[in-house]
Amino acid sequence: MTISNAPAQFSPKQAVSSNRLLGLWRLMRGFRLIYVGAVLSLGIAALAKTATYLLLRYFVDDVLGRGFGVPFLLLVALGFVGLALGEGLFSFLSGRWAARTAEGTALRLRNYLFDHIQRLSFAYHDQTRTGELLQRSTSDVEAVRRFYADQAIGLGRIIILFAVNFVAIWNLNRNLAILSVIVVPVLVVVSYFFFGRVSRRYEEYQEQDARVSTRLQENLTGVRVVKAFARQAYEIDKFEKENWDKFQKGRRLILMHSLYWPSSDILAGLQMLAGFVIGGIMAINGTITAGTYLAYAGMVIWIIWPMRNLGRIIVQMSTGLVSYDRVMAIVREEEEPLSEGSYRPRGNVRGEIVFNDVGFSYGEGEQVLKHISFRVEPGQSVALLGSTGSGKTSLVNLLPRFYEYDSGSITLDGVELKEYPRDYLRSQIGIVEQEPFLFSRTIRENISYGVDREVSDEEIYAAARAAAIHEVIMSFPEGYDTLVGERGVTLSGGQKQRVAIARTLLRNPRILILDDATSSVDTETEGLIRRALQRLMEGRTTFVIAHRIQSVMNADLILVLDKGEIVQMGRHEDLMAQEGIYRDIYHLQARIEDELQQELEATVTV
Amino acid sequence: MSETIHFEEEEFTTQFNGRTLIRILAQAKPHWKLTAVFLITIALVSALDSYFTFLSKRMIDEGIVPRNGERLLNIAVQYGGLIILQALLVFGFIYAAGILGERVQYDLRKKQFNHLQTLSFSYYDRTPVGWIMSRLTSDVERMGWLVSWGVLDVIWALANILTALYFMAIINWRLMLIVLVAIPVLVVVAAQFKKHILVEFRLVRKLNSRITGAFNENITGVRVVKALGREQANLAEFEELSEDRYAAGYRAAWLSALFLPAVQIISALAVGAVVVVGGVEAEYGAMTIGGIQAFISYITFMMWPIQDLARVYAETQHAIASAERVFSLIDAVPEIQDRSDAVDPGSLRGDIEFIDVDFYYEEDKPVLQDFNLVVREGETIALVGPTGGGKSTIVNLLCRFYEPRKGMIRIGGRDYRELSLHSIHSRLGIVLQTPHLFSGTIRENIRYGRLDASDEEVEEAAKLAGAHEFITALEKGYDEEVGEGGVMLSVGQKQLVSLARAVLADPDIFIMDEATSSVDTLTEALIQRGMERMLSGRTSFVIAHRLSTIKRADRIVVIQDGRIEEMGTHAELIRKRGHYYRLYSRQFREERARQYDLLGLEPAAT
Repeated sequence: MTISNAPAQFSPKQAVSSNRLLGLWRLMRGFRLIYVGAVLSLGIAALAKTATYLLLRYFVDDVLGRGFGVPFLLLVALGFVGLALGEGLFSFLSGRWAARTAEGTALRLRNYLFDHIQRLSFAYHDQTRTGELLQRSTSDVEAVRRFYADQAIGLGRIIILFAVNFVAIWNLNRNLAILSVIVVPVLVVVSYFFFGRVSRRYEEYQEQDARVSTRLQENLTGVRVVKAFARQAYEIDKFEKENWDKFQKGRRLILMHSLYWPSSDILAGLQMLAGFVIGGIMAINGTITAGTYLAYAGMVIWIIWPMRNLGRIIVQMSTGLVSYDRVMAIVREEEEPLSEGSYRPRGNVRGEIVFNDVGFSYGEGEQVLKHISFRVEPGQSVALLGSTGSGKTSLVNLLPRFYEYDSGSITLDGVELKEYPRDYLRSQIGIVEQEPFLFSRTIRENISYGVDREVSDEEIYAAARAAAIHEVIMSFPEGYDTLVGERGVTLSGGQKQRVAIARTLLRNPRILILDDATSSVDTETEGLIRRALQRLMEGRTTFVIAHRIQSVMNADLILVLDKGEIVQMGRHEDLMAQEGIYRDIYHLQARIEDELQQELEATVTV
Repeated sequence: MSETIHFEEEEFTTQFNGRTLIRILAQAKPHWKLTAVFLITIALVSALDSYFTFLSKRMIDEGIVPRNGERLLNIAVQYGGLIILQALLVFGFIYAAGILGERVQYDLRKKQFNHLQTLSFSYYDRTPVGWIMSRLTSDVERMGWLVSWGVLDVIWALANILTALYFMAIINWRLMLIVLVAIPVLVVVAAQFKKHILVEFRLVRKLNSRITGAFNENITGVRVVKALGREQANLAEFEELSEDRYAAGYRAAWLSALFLPAVQIISALAVGAVVVVGGVEAEYGAMTIGGIQAFISYITFMMWPIQDLARVYAETQHAIASAERVFSLIDAVPEIQDRSDAVDPGSLRGDIEFIDVDFYYEEDKPVLQDFNLVVREGETIALVGPTGGGKSTIVNLLCRFYEPRKGMIRIGGRDYRELSLHSIHSRLGIVLQTPHLFSGTIRENIRYGRLDASDEEVEEAAKLAGAHEFITALEKGYDEEVGEGGVMLSVGQKQLVSLARAVLADPDIFIMDEATSSVDTLTEALIQRGMERMLSGRTSFVIAHRLSTIKRADRIVVIQDGRIEEMGTHAELIRKRGHYYRLYSRQFREERARQYDLLGLEPAAT
């Protein structure tokens, strides 16, 4: 199935408008013609329906009881079937084209949002909640889809049916036409107010439903506490309250419906009956023929009954408009230009990095990095040392241009970092986080994730072996095809980290950013991870967010950070030779060992 | 017992399970009055619908054609009266059926929730929370729908078709027979259509949830996606999924758009037959104008009951599948139940003995084997050892969340299976590693320990637990809302609250699983103090991570691979220079490093 009749260069950005209806119209680009076709088809279908009643009129007035034979009757019958075919065909076409427009527009919007979101900046993602983005890209897109598929077309249907049949009746008899629609405005107003109120009550009902679910979920996740305190009876009472409330809210909602529908039945029914009586009297008086009366009796149904649903459609449309705004709020955001940049080398970078008086802050906030200057030669390792909030992570986040530094300069191989396109830069940098994010795919896919070329199984196994995770993977029943996450295996933090190491080995970047924390990993795995990391660091410029004295001691350069500034810098030996935080820390380590020995001895000799 | 429940939402029995259907309908039995009201009113409404068409016919044949205005008005008055009567009946059926539907849902939620409270941990282990949630939400909704609106639609449709046939027979029974032939054709065509449409819509739903999943993963993992430059590949993958959704949605929509025209065209063939046969019969007065009008109306509006029948038929299968899952929950037998002669010993004081206890969660994966441990009344036992070694299992068995597969546990010299579950649980105090709080105020959460405690007692308990200070520092003090699952509080604060909860319960046995995640030093000290108060004078089990707790225990039990590796006092075990010695040294270094705040550095592992 191709959806290629939409112009390829169309971007939903062009549909951003403060006039929401105009925006929705622009969003339909490429589908407008068939959507108009869908509306026209509705009109043709309505005409065919009305023609059926006119045929009935002809049949009753001019055919019935006038001695026409079976062949002519068959012809009339064929007329009825033909009109039904016409009506059917065009209402089908209308449905099909509306569906195509709605589904096609939604598809384009969904794809755009998916791509757009992954191209929005880190700064945007920092301040936007996942749930919010998720809801806008799914349920709000769905609401926009329904706007095209059901609401706009449904509104069109009611209006067209009314217009066509009203004009037809008008042509039969003007007075009849006017007398038949007296109640219609009342019906529309009542239905609008009713559905407005119902939708509010429905929201309350849904909110209560959410409360019931929350209660339930709390009970289920807290089952240990409930059982441990033997609070089953208490829990039952709490749930009962919410459950009963939901029943009551449902009851109120039902009550509204049970009042509206019969009242609108009476309004519409009596109006129709009045039409029958007036039409009947006209027929008796000879103002209209019996056939005209029959045609009228058939058509009048279509200008009264559908009006009862007009309010519902209008109320629903307004939620569709709100959804349009919510979606467009995301669309409006600027993407991070990935390939923009004046300098894109053919091959790999060497990895010489120089920071010169770099300053950085998140948005308008206070400076998180100040006067950062240092130099790394290709293949060297830099250890970053500092307490939480000292700026370690912010510093390494500048390298792949996740954030842009505000002042100073960073050069890579002698070229300013801002000259490099982001996608190139990121292809040169590998990141291994403390607890890496894995995708709910197979382990094989996770290892080869983000590698821009065909990767053979052998390569994957080799990377996994080097990362010391091969054995673990093979111990799963499905090996490399085991799914990660909820529907598969749950990997421990250390195992995830080793999968990420294997992934990074495959990507073979020139620059490496490592978070070498191994908290909550037992000693044996710790050794495995450390060896895997060392293998990874060979020959690459490496930035290590250090949590371990070893990685600091062996580094070519140690940066001690405090409140966004480098307070000490140098090799281990240099730093040990000077007074400062580093030496204090190092000595503290030794002091702990002393204390431990003392403590143990004291215990034994007691 | 160990197999997990499969929770493919779409799985559903193809055969029509009559017994389940009857059991669903039986849910309406306690509310037979409502049921009777809606069944009677809907049947009457339906019959009136058919009768209205008949009245229209009489208006034509008795009033308009013979030009009898008086007769016309007489019939119209009757018609008008019946419209009002019908409106009252409509009120009756919407109200009765609506309330019944809500009520049955309420009943089913209540039944399931209450039953869930009796189910054992083993059930929760193999049943995901999400699975249970769906049973109490969407499944219950479907069952409620079937009992009320589903039944209602069937009754309305059947009554409508039957009464229409009755009136048609009165008008002209030969023509009625023609219509009678058309009905089964219509039903079969409609049912087939609805089945296919339903399949497509189910596919749409499934793809929608996959799309939501894809968005969710890409948003939560957006940093990795950017770091690995995976945008292009991700979009390509998503587009495939998105186009599948487009195709399914489009197919579902145009199949639906085809449904009504198809039914209409079959009806039109019947209308054609009526025109021919009626036309011939009209020649010799066997068919009136009104008669022809009535037949055309009956046939045209026949498609609504048929459509309803088809829909209910398709949806019923769905509802039956839902019901089977709901009934499986209601019918689940709790694995741990009170014996018929279970007693309440009045207290849980006395020694606790584990005698030759074997335990496994899954067969052939033993967790404990021949486990023996005797704990004297008032003793504090520290359980230490690696994760997965069996510490939590020992505690779970002690709490009788599970029972030994072999061997026995005695409390106060009595096999604890002779005691009632309530007598055990109501005398335990438990503080979990990640404490579970319920949404509500802090006061309510503490009071969970003893429901009849006064405000003073709650505060007293908080003081003893060391929670009072932080609580009073909050804006609303004890009346501060903790948020869903306690999200408004830190882990340490949650521990303090749950400690206060345990203090208030004043249990005979105290169980604590210390938090491993870092808690700030001040809070930690508070927790320590609160704990000490709890430990003194009652039998306690602590899964310990803090050295001070471990050292203070009367006995330390080192658990590894389901066995007791070492056991004794701190000094005894240090002297042994075994597992405990190594464990202690490691812990000592980590704890000190944290105390000295070594800029995020971990100690060197040796």
